[in-house]
Amino acid sequence: MTPPPPVAPDPQDLAAQLERLEQIVRRLEAPELDLDEALKLFEEGVERLRAARERLAQAELKVKKVLEHLDR
Amino acid sequence: MGRPLDLFAAASPEGAWTVSQVTRRARAVVEAGLPPLWVRGEVSGFKAWQSGHWYFALRDKAAQLRCVMFGRDNRRLPAPPSEGMQVFAFGQPTVWDEKGEFRLTVYELLSTEEGGLWKLAFEKAKAALARDGLLEPGRKRHLPPYPRRIAVITSPDGAALKDIIAVVGRRWPIAEVIVLPAQVQGAGAEDELCAALASLRRLAVDVAIVGRGGGSKEDLWTFNRERVARAVAASAVPVISAVGHETDVTLCDLVADWRAPTPSAAAEAATPDQADVRAALEQLGGRLARGLTTRAQRAGDLLARSQDRLVGALSHRLERLADRLAAHGAHLDALSPLKILGRGYAVARDVRGDVLRRVAQFAPGLAFRLRVSDGEVPARTEPS
Repeated sequence: MTPPPPVAPDPQDLAAQLERLEQIVRRLEAPELDLDEALKLFEEGVERLRAARERLAQAELKVKKVLEHLDR
Repeated sequence: MGRPLDLFAAASPEGAWTVSQVTRRARAVVEAGLPPLWVRGEVSGFKAWQSGHWYFALRDKAAQLRCVMFGRDNRRLPAPPSEGMQVFAFGQPTVWDEKGEFRLTVYELLSTEEGGLWKLAFEKAKAALARDGLLEPGRKRHLPPYPRRIAVITSPDGAALKDIIAVVGRRWPIAEVIVLPAQVQGAGAEDELCAALASLRRLAVDVAIVGRGGGSKEDLWTFNRERVARAVAASAVPVISAVGHETDVTLCDLVADWRAPTPSAAAEAATPDQADVRAALEQLGGRLARGLTTRAQRAGDLLARSQDRLVGALSHRLERLADRLAAHGAHLDALSPLKILGRGYAVARDVRGDVLRRVAQFAPGLAFRLRVSDGEVPARTEPS
């Protein structure tokens, strides 16, 4: 048995999150959508919305110094 | 009369000067009589040697002065002077022993033209970049709307870095700031900036900011170096250039994907504001809910319409059935045997219900039933 593909989106990647959300909303707004599909999209959208909000809430700037380019 | 001058008395190994003595003496005299000074003239016969030294002459209408500018002094200049350029040269008049030549050792060179050597160097490099298409507006890449990692190439202890970190921290703390320290002025700055820009290829960043705070024209000059500008153009990710203040436009600014007037503005250009993103998320949430509601409503409407049509079709069919039934009913009524029985006829049937129509069917003693208009009567034939 193959495991199901991971549905949980990477909560770190807000860009991907927002992009996917846009996509979901646009598809949901299209008239020719199957109701079953609409429900699935909605559920995914809600999950991504929640993850994105959470990510925003816990954000704290990280600063890292890279010196590798100097030791060539 | 004094002693007759003996012109030849000194023409002896003891009396004659060596060439070196003469040139050395001449140099001493010249250097003592002419302290370092500014000379104004036109550049002629310029030649840059492999060694890095520059040789040329300064001329006016009547005279010419040989000049040398050593590599250690000309390195600070943005570009060599062009032929015929009017310049001010500051230097020490001297005698060059080896060639017995009177010349000026130049320490500093300024063009009298607007912007001087700086402008000349800038225009030259800009023309070279333009020739290679690096200034085309079409080359400029879009900045990522939601960057995950932002590279900052600048001095590790400059105000620019502090400003950038403050702005990113306020607007988009989701991002990670990767600092690539590089000297931004002085010897080595060009190499360090180019190396940092090249290393962007190996770092998973979405966008890079390269720049520094304000400074003199000389301080900012590294960002006008053609090599640095080419490194910016060749960057693997979009580059935001922020050098000095609003009024300073450098070659790096011209080739960068985005030119920000200050480092803070660069940080703003690199990031969305988290408040805006929150608002956008709420809006997306609204659209998500409305999208589903609309979709569900449409499904409901469709269902209701289907039901109406179904009911409509069904009742129509039922009506037709009822009509047909009524018609059959009238027909059946006309044929009903009960009507005939009502007129006084009777039907004889045996125990199995078969109708007895002929005399031969009535055996003696046979039990049978007579159906009359209002019921049945048991009967039997006479025994023989």
